[in-house]
Parts: sequence; structure tokens; C-alpha cells
Amino acid sequence: MEGHVTYSVLPAVIVLLPFVASLLVRPLGRRSESLRDWYAVVVTALTFLGTVALIPAIAEYHVIGCEIPLLVGEITFSVDSFGMFFALFTSFVWFASTLYAGSYMQHEQKRNRYFTYTLAVLGANMGVVLAGDLISLYLFFEALGLLAYWLVVHTETPEALKASTKYLWMTVMGGFSLVAGIFIVFGLGSNGSLGSVPIAEGQTALAWAAATLMILGFGVKAGIVPVHIWLPDAHPVAPSPASALLSGIMIKAGAYGIFRVVTALFRPPIMEEVVEELWHFTTQLGFAVIWIGIATMFIGVVLALLQENAKRMLAYHSVSQMGFIITGIGVAGYLGAHGAMGYAGALYHILNHALFKACLFLGVGAVYFRTHELNMYKLGGLWKKMPLTFLFTLIAAFGITGVPLFNGFVSKTLIHHGLVEAVEHAAHLAHTTHLASWAQQATALSVAEKIFVVTCGGTAASFIKLIVFVFLGKPKQEFPGIKDAPPRMLVAMTALAVPITVLGLAPNFVLHGVVVPGLHMWGLHTAIIDEFVPFTSANLSSLVIPFILGPTIVVVGVRYGLFHAHFPAWFSVDYWYRRTARAFLAFCSVANRGYEAYVAFVSRLLARTFRQAARGSIRIRRTWRRFIVTLGTGAPGLRHQQFIDTAYVIIERERHGTVRHAVDAAIAAAETSGDTEAHEIERNAHAVRDLAMYMATRLSDERIAVVAELARTGRIEPLRMALEESMARVVELRPLVADVALRLAPRRMAGQSITRELAHEMNVIMARERFDLLLRESIPSWKVSQATARLGHRVGQTLPREEVALAYEAGSQAAAQLGHRIGQVLPNEEVMSAYRAGGLTRLENAARWIANTATGLIEAAIQERVPWMIEDRVDSRRVASTRLAIQRYVRDIGLNVGIAILMLLFFVLATVARGF
Amino acid sequence: MLLPIFGAGLVVPLSRVSERARAIGLTLVVALAAGLVALLIPGVLRGEIYGVRLFQMTPTISLSMRVDALGAMFAITAVVLWLLAVVYSFGYMADEHSTNRYFTFLMLALAWTLGVALAGNLLSFLVFYELFSILTYPLVVHEETPEAMAAGTKYITYIIIGGGLVLLAIMATYSMAGAQEFGSTAFFNADLSRTALLAVFWCFIVGFGVKAALIPLHGWVPDAHPAAPAPFSAVLSGIMVAAGSFGILRVLFNVFGIPLLKELGVAVPLSAIAAVTVIVAAILAIPQDNLKRRLAFSTISQMGYVIFGASLLSVSSMTGSFVHIANHAFMKGTLFFCAGVFIKRAGVHKVSEMAGIAKRHPITMAVFTLTSLSMIGTPPLSGFTSKWYLGLGVLDAGKPLYLVVLLGGALLAAVYLLPIIYAAYFKEPSPVVRDLLAKGSTAEAPWTMLGPLLAGTALTVVLGICASASGLPLSLAKLAAETLP
Repeated sequence: MEGHVTYSVLPAVIVLLPFVASLLVRPLGRRSESLRDWYAVVVTALTFLGTVALIPAIAEYHVIGCEIPLLVGEITFSVDSFGMFFALFTSFVWFASTLYAGSYMQHEQKRNRYFTYTLAVLGANMGVVLAGDLISLYLFFEALGLLAYWLVVHTETPEALKASTKYLWMTVMGGFSLVAGIFIVFGLGSNGSLGSVPIAEGQTALAWAAATLMILGFGVKAGIVPVHIWLPDAHPVAPSPASALLSGIMIKAGAYGIFRVVTALFRPPIMEEVVEELWHFTTQLGFAVIWIGIATMFIGVVLALLQENAKRMLAYHSVSQMGFIITGIGVAGYLGAHGAMGYAGALYHILNHALFKACLFLGVGAVYFRTHELNMYKLGGLWKKMPLTFLFTLIAAFGITGVPLFNGFVSKTLIHHGLVEAVEHAAHLAHTTHLASWAQQATALSVAEKIFVVTCGGTAASFIKLIVFVFLGKPKQEFPGIKDAPPRMLVAMTALAVPITVLGLAPNFVLHGVVVPGLHMWGLHTAIIDEFVPFTSANLSSLVIPFILGPTIVVVGVRYGLFHAHFPAWFSVDYWYRRTARAFLAFCSVANRGYEAYVAFVSRLLARTFRQAARGSIRIRRTWRRFIVTLGTGAPGLRHQQFIDTAYVIIERERHGTVRHAVDAAIAAAETSGDTEAHEIERNAHAVRDLAMYMATRLSDERIAVVAELARTGRIEPLRMALEESMARVVELRPLVADVALRLAPRRMAGQSITRELAHEMNVIMARERFDLLLRESIPSWKVSQATARLGHRVGQTLPREEVALAYEAGSQAAAQLGHRIGQVLPNEEVMSAYRAGGLTRLENAARWIANTATGLIEAAIQERVPWMIEDRVDSRRVASTRLAIQRYVRDIGLNVGIAILMLLFFVLATVARGF
Repeated sequence: MLLPIFGAGLVVPLSRVSERARAIGLTLVVALAAGLVALLIPGVLRGEIYGVRLFQMTPTISLSMRVDALGAMFAITAVVLWLLAVVYSFGYMADEHSTNRYFTFLMLALAWTLGVALAGNLLSFLVFYELFSILTYPLVVHEETPEAMAAGTKYITYIIIGGGLVLLAIMATYSMAGAQEFGSTAFFNADLSRTALLAVFWCFIVGFGVKAALIPLHGWVPDAHPAAPAPFSAVLSGIMVAAGSFGILRVLFNVFGIPLLKELGVAVPLSAIAAVTVIVAAILAIPQDNLKRRLAFSTISQMGYVIFGASLLSVSSMTGSFVHIANHAFMKGTLFFCAGVFIKRAGVHKVSEMAGIAKRHPITMAVFTLTSLSMIGTPPLSGFTSKWYLGLGVLDAGKPLYLVVLLGGALLAAVYLLPIIYAAYFKEPSPVVRDLLAKGSTAEAPWTMLGPLLAGTALTVVLGICASASGLPLSLAKLAAETLP
């Protein structure tokens, strides 16, 4: 910042004092409530006095500043006349509000917390207006926003919680918008001071982005449309002294920010000569800001007219009044070097609004303090009971509506002048440059001027409503025992009401004391302010329209019930924000669900891959084993061959079982008949065994043939179950065989031929068994398929899968039992399908043939020699293991023989080779 | 320098004598290590570089240690966070099983971390990095629940695959550029084949990216964090994930160097990946109900900032990126400490159960609030410092649109952190909390847990307010950003 800068720690002290002081509130409050209240008042008073002490220094040096090396660089404070101006009224209104709060807060909870945060927020607010660079400004602005959350949420009622949440989100987003703007300002090449930002060629878009983001960021706090939505919710729910601060002061922090953005950051560097071309960007920005202001003031006042809750109405008026201020700032930017009127109007209105809005909130707060009622339509006639409160509220209402002799008149007139001047400026340029854009701007601004006047009328209407419904008229309900507000509250209101009238009567005090020196320092023309006289007939006559419009609106509104009209929900921006937020959260949870699904999918994919890899490795191992086995024992055969092989083992076992049964029966018979000669018994047993073996072998051959045939023609799985089921019934044939063997054995021992009898008996037994029929009968699918055919015929094409499943179920249960008994389970479909499906290679066939032949030979040779000892109960496992041992033996022998032959071959070859 | 830490590994079995002896012994050892690292800092700030060759494996391959600004910053961050975590562990692990195993591996992990931070060449980096990655498995699965075991398996699978890629890349580097120490010049120069350089680069990035949780490779993070004990979650988030980012920084600046990166044009896709990481992880964090899982996603997002800043290649953004490692470590460490208090003292694991918990744990919740604000980037807390430099860096790099990523990530951080705070302070107590409140006791955590919590917060505040003080991470980060090749 230009000008004479002198060093002073005073600004830093002013900012830090409330912060440090806030830490002491809680310990003091524990000891004594009133001590704490007075302590807070003293702190705010000291802050105010400190600010007053800045005046001489500013008057002499224009700018004072200091640095504290903190944060990413240093925190700097620098105060010019504008900063001091803001600091003065901030600390003054704070003082009044804190004084008022001492009485008012008696009916609220958590008073320690309230005073702690009041002081802390004061510190932050002073920091905002005294900050000397963008980082410090952002720091204090953010602190202000977050600390003020505790003031908004203070009552912790459901409405307060809702409003404060909205407030918090808007603040957070505003903060981000602001910091983004600040980043871009740094990116444009600023050093972070509150001075002009250099805008290089081609960076205009970036500058627009920065300005927009920063105005939005500050605008959230200032309550500009369309980011005002938190304000009408948050301001009324706070305790009244806090409402006064929020509406009167804290939104000015936002206005201060916008003021600095438009008039300090995005303006050309300060020079002796004014070069109009450099102001182009500021002009355009100012035009945009004027329209933001106009929209804000108009929408604010329309919504204010529809409110029942007095505080809520005041909050909407804060929005509307901020619109006046923003318009003033916009005019200042638009007119560039000639914008003194805009500066003066905006600054003056900032001060005025702080005073009268705070006073209004305190007045309405006093009413609420006594009556606990905020609905305007339920109050009335209070002027008799609370005369002083009525007086101060009336003064403030005069102020805000712009009645001459009160402060609002002066500032509104200034802004109006500025707006008119802007219209003339645009029209003049349109005339001289013949550019259509200027002409359009002139038209647009004259529309803006009309809206301005209408809004003034709306404001008047609104406050006529407030005064009439709350203080005048007949009481709608009785409030017994009401008296005027407590003295401390009255003193606080007096402190605010007096300046309202003083500033209305003597405006030059501020204009020449603050605005003119500040503008001089910035190298702007100030002559226009010197020429300004508030109470001219032209200015007064411009009031005629608003003051006619105001009562008209009230009368019409009350007559037709317009004040109770409600816009549909989708009409408010708030509704759309809410929907967006909700949609975003929904999107997040959808994204998360999508992500979870993706993770699940990937892990399933991985699991399947792992399983397949595992299966693959099993397959490789099995192939390897089969290869080894093939080498030794011959090929395993086709798929059904595998099955037949296994079935063979089972049927073979049944053969052994039958033989053993017969032998057992023979021995038992010998024992019962009293034969004691061991030799005889053994001979008899041998004979029985021979016979039984012959018969059992024939039966087995028959069975295996049936199984083999069925296996080749039918499906494996039903066959497996059928076989397992049938084997249980086949066992019934054992006694039959034993019977025949026992009957024929004596004749065989006697040397007679029994061939015919044997053949006959065999035919009888086999006819009885009919293994093929037995199997076919117990194959479930064949049975079921008949039933299915019938059923399907009846119902259409439906296949009773449950029935099939049940049949399978029954079959597999039987199989499981049998398998348990035999110790060998037939391979089921899954196992079978794992076997190789293709045919055999020629080599494998040869190997198989050799191996099978050899096995058969050896088996036959060994079987003959196995002595069927009576005690030797060969169990099924041993049969299997014996068979395996034989196979191994054959393999080993085969390998040995093979190796021997190979070696021999080599030997022969070697000899032959040497021979040649 | 590493000796006291190796000693720490021995302390654990020895002080089986008494819990108290172990507690005091371990704290002293870590404090000693912290002191030693801190002693190095003034020298580093003067621009001196300490180095020592540990041993020569072959004439060309050796293990060596070296202290430069970046390494010193990472080392001091790690050792201080470890100090907090160890003290916190005494409170947290008091009634847990196999504490000796836990402490042994915790101390060993510190040793490896310091090794990573102070490694002097790629090989020693790799050695410590792998030790660090693999030997922390027992800490991840410490709870030995099925979830913990599953998370551990996931962790080790990811890490080993990542480690394999890093090994591959390092072998390629040695064959292409020979054995070199980290120093003022980059390993590679532009004469080498472009394809080979690109392959090596992406190998490195994917390898370290697994650890740094770049987004398609982040799978282990959200599972490992909720499964591990809270103090280790803190370390896992604050340091382990950052170790991956640290690896990427070493690769970017020491192996390749800024001119080569610019020539190869790889920084742009890398920054895009990092930007996606920042935003997507934050979006995924929002619907998480498990508190630690939400914080884990937040870690992924925040680590995205580190890579993001580094890949923009401007001095400010690099400073922001480096200092964010330190700031994030303390912020996230403290948040996990808070989560640990809620789990241990209140049995609350889920965000939805946290409603009203501020009444029972006022101090913890205050700490949580402050740290969360820092995470969002509120001045004057430390998160603001990093975000500030990142923001300036984005504009220095001439990519103003990336501001959307930077601030969008921060805004999303607000969306996933602020509702927790709101619920804890203002919502009706959840059934769990109501039961606890009905029992009467306000039962804040013991001082061994609260102490580190408060210290972590104090660090967050100090690193924000006094960020520019000499000797704090910001000064080291600035130095590192200015001196890197």
C-alpha cells in the first residue's frame, strides 16, 4: 500500500487482546457471573479505545502497520483510514452488544461459552479489517467464520442446529472459494499485499476467475444473492446480541472484503495521472457487482415482506441492505477514478447499517426478552409498556428507511447519486464512442436505478409493518407484568441510537474525516464529495416515490393477505443447493457401492483364477502320475474304462465274499454235524471253495459284462448309483451259492461228475438274479424319465427337477452307506469328468495290452496258489493292496527288464560299431 | 545413528522383567533417537550433508547412509511420530496379548524407517524399504482376527508385488547408470534410450505407488488400517504410506531429475493419477461408516497431494508436497490416536455410533476437531501451510485448473470429517454412547494415551502457526525443494 507507512504494534495488540482475553472468560465465569459480564464489557471497551487511539497516527501518517513472523511467512497488519473506519464501528457496536448481552443472556444457557466466543470473534473481526495482506486477511476471515459458528449454534435448538449446519457449510465453501481466488491472485504475480494486482496481457480470464471467486468467498459472509441462503436462518436463531453482531457487523467483514477486492486489488496501480484505459477491468467488474447488489437488495426486500418472525424479517433486511452497500461498491468500481460517490455511499451505508441494524435487533431482542414472542402478528400495543424500547426501535427504523435527518437518508442518497452518475457516465460514453455496449449498459443501469427506488419503497413498507404490528395497535394477547428493558440494555440501545441521529444531521464528519483522505491516498478525484449537500430539494423529492410506495404496499398487502403468500419450494435457491448436496452424497454412496462391487468382483475373479490354477496343478500332477503308471502298468483306458475298472474291483470283491461265505458255511456245517477230523473238514472246505469259486466267477463275469455294456451305452452317474444300490441286493445271492456248493461238494469229493447239476444250478441262480434287469430297474433316471414323460405330457414341457434331485439324493445316500461298508467308492461324475476323455494313443494301447496280459497271467498264476486258509479272512483292503503290490512288482520287473534290454542293445551296438 | 534403534529391538525381551521397565526403556531409546536426528538438523540447514558408508558388498555395490534435507525431514517426522506412538501404545496395548512381539516389531520398524529416510543410494534404500515393508506384517495382523489375517494377506501380497517391481527397476537403473549415490546430480541423463527410461520410470512408480496408495494400487490401505491396532494405524498412515511417497520423491528428483522428467513428459500423467487419487479417495471416504476406514481413505487422498505437488515440478508445489508428508503424519497420527481412544475407552468403531460422544470424551473430541480442521486446511493450522504452498505451486506450474483438485479435495475432506464432529457434539447420543453415559463415568483415556494425543495436536498447531521458524519441517522442505537436482 502506498503512502507513508509507520510502524506501530497497536493494531496487533488490538487484534490479540480479545483473543487472549477470551481465554479468561471461563475461569472468571465460574467464580462470578456478573464479574465475567463486566470483564467482557471492559475488554470490548478497551478494544474500542485502542482503535480510537489509532486515529491520530492515521491522521498523521495515513498508514500504520506491523508484522509478526508467523504462519507461512508473517502476519502483517496495516491500517489505512478505511481499515480504521471499519475497526471503529466494529469495536463500538461490539461494546454496545456486549453491554446488552450482560442482561439479555440471563435467560440463556452456557453463558461462559457465549462470552468466550464473543470476544474471540471480536478479535477475528478486528483482524479482518486491520489485516495488511491477503494471507492474514484470509486467516482472520476464516477464523471469524468458524468461531461465529458457536454464536449461531448457541441455543442448540433444532432450528439453531439446522441453521448453523447450513451456515457452517456455506462458510467452509466460501472459505475455499476465497482461498482459490487468493491463489490465483498470487499466480497473477501479486506479492499478497492489499494493493493493485498486475494483470498481464491474456490473463484477463484468470483475473475474472480470481475476482469472481473472491467476491463469492466474501459474499457468503456478506449475504449476497445467490449465496445468502444461510443468513435468514442463522441470524434469527442466535441470541439477540449475537444477531445484532452477525447482522450489524460480521456481514460487514464480507462487505469489507468485497470493497478491497473491487477497489484495491482489481484497480490499476496508483499514479499521479489517471489513465482511463487501465480502469477497463475495474469498470466491467464494477458493472457486475452493481447487478449483484441490485439483485440482492430486491430479492432481500421481497422476501422480508413475507416474514412473520420479526428477527427473520430483520435478517432479510440485512440481505437487502447489503445489496445497497454492494451496489455502492459496484458504482465505485464502475466509475473508476471518478467513483468517489460510490465509495462514500458504500462506506457510509456500512457504518449506518451497522448502527441501525444492531439497534433494531437489540430492540426486537428486548421485546423477546420480555414477551418470548417473535411473531409480529401476535404482538401489538407495546409502546405503552416499553416506551424507551419503542423510541429506539423507531429511530433505527427511521434510519433504515431513510427518513431525512436520520443517517440512512444520507447514505442512500449518496448511493443513489452514484447510480445516477453511473447512468450518465455510460450514456456519455455511449454518446462519444458510439459503442452499443455502453448504450446497453446505460439502459441497464437506469433499470437498476428504478429497482433501487422500488426497493426503498419496500423497505419503508416493511418497517411500517414492524412498528405498527409490534408496538402500535391493540395488543393481540396479554403479556402480564411487562415493563421496559433492563437498564444495561437501554444504555446499549441509546449508545447506538444517538449516532444514528448525529450521523444523519452531520454527515460531513465522516465524509471529510475518513473518505476524502482515504481517496486522496488512492489518487482519486474527491471534488464531487466536497460539492455534496444532503438536504437539497432534489434529494428530498427523490424520497417521494418510496414514501408513497411504502404505505401503499402495506395497505395492499394487508388487504389481500399478500404478506402470508409463500413461494413454491423450488423457487428458492436453497432448495436447489439442498438437492445438489443430497445428490452428491447419494453419488458418493453409489460410488462406494460400485467400488465395493468392483472389489468383490476382482477378488472373486482372483479366487477363481487361484482355484483354476490349483485345479490345473492337480491335473498336471495327475497326468504325471498317469504317465508313470502307464509306463509301469499300462494305460488307464477310456473314461468309462476307468469306471469299469473300479466296478470290477467291487464285483471282484463280491466274488471273494461269495466264496468265503460258502467256505464259512461249509466249516459251520461240519462243526454242527460233529465231524471232528481236521483233514476231512479241510478237504470238504477245499471242495466247497472250488465249486463256489466257479459259480462266483461265472456270476462276476456276467455282472462285469453287464456293467461294461451299460457303462458304454449310458450315463455314468445314474449307473454308478444303480450299481451301488444293486450290490447291496446281490449280496442276497451268497447263501444260494453256498447252499449249492455245500450240496454238490460231497459228490465232487467222491469223484463224480457234477457238471450238469452245476450248470443247471448256475442257470437257476442267474435267472433269479438277472443282473442286467436289476441294474436297469434301479437306475433312477430311467425310472424317472418315464414318470417325467407322463408328467410332461400332462403339464406341458415342465421337467420335475425336484423329483430327479430326490431320486439322486436317495441313490447317493445308499451309495454312501455302501461305500462306507466296502471301503471303496465308485468314482462319481465329477471325478469321472476329470479323467481324460480322449482315446488312447497307439503306444498307450500297446503298453496297456502288454500290461493287462502280464497282469492277467500273473493274477491267474497267483490265484491258483493262494491257499484259502480258514483263519485268513482277507479283507477288501488287503485285496486291493495286494493287487497294487502286484502291479508295482510287474512295473519294477518290467523296468528292470527294459533297462537290461536297453543296455544289452547299447552293448551290442557298441560292439558292432567297434567291429566296423 | 541406527545403533540405538537396533538396541531397541533388544530392549524388549530384556525388560520382560517388568512392564514399567520396558515402558521407560523404550521411551528413552526413541527419545534418544529423536534427539540424535534433531542434532543433525542445524547442520543440514546450513547445507552440510552427512554420509557414511556402511559396508562394501562388491567393488561397485555398497550400502551407505546419507543425510540431506528431504531425508532429515522424513526422519525427524518419523522418529517424533514414533515417540508419540510408542508412548500411546503403552496405554493402548495395556490389556492386549503378545505385547512383546508388538513392541519388538514396532521398534524394528522405526529402525527400517530411519534407514529408508537416510539411505544413501538406491540399493540401501531398497534393503531398508523391503525390510520395513515385510517386517511390519506382524503389526498389521496383530489382532489375529480373521479380518486382520485377511488384511495382512492382502497387505503382504500387494507389498511384495510392489517390492518386486522396485527391485526390477533398481536393477535396471544399476545396469543403465551404474552405482551412484544420491547427490546433487541425477542418475540418468538424456542420452539413454527413451523407451528404457520410460519403462524404468513406470516400474518405479507402480512399485512405490503400491505403498503410496496411488489409486488403482491402493487396495490394501482401507483394509489394513481398521484391522491394525490404533497406534500402529497412526504410524501406518503417517509414515508407512508416506514411505512409498518418499520413494517416489527420491525417484523423481534423485534418480531422474527435473530436466529429464520434463523432457520425458511423464510428470503430467503422474499428476493426473495423483489428482484422481485425491478426488476419488475422498469421494469414497464419505460413505464409510467405520471410522478408521474413513480415515484410511483420507490417507490415500492426502498422500495423493504429496505426489500431486511433487509431480507439478515447481519449487512451491514441491515444498508443499514435502512439508505435507510431515504435516499429514502428525495430523493423521493424532486422528488415529483419537479413533483408538474411542475404540478402547468407549468401544465405538463406527461413525454412526459416535453421536454425542463429546460429552464423554471432551478432550479427545476437541483434539479431533482441531486436527480435522487442520486436515481441511484451515489457517493457522499445519494443513493450511501445505495447502498454501501446493496452491501457489499449482499456479507457478501454470495449471490453475488444478486448483479445483486441490480445493475440491479439501472440501471433500470437510464433507467426510465435519459431520463426525457435528454428530459428536450436537446429535442425540447413539445407543452405545447413551449406555456409556448412563454408567456415569466420564472416563477419559489414561495420560499415556492423552499425552501423545495432545502432543500431536500441539505439533499440528505449532507447525501451522510457527511454520516458517527455522528447523521445523517447512524450512527443511524449502531447502530440499531448492537444492534437489
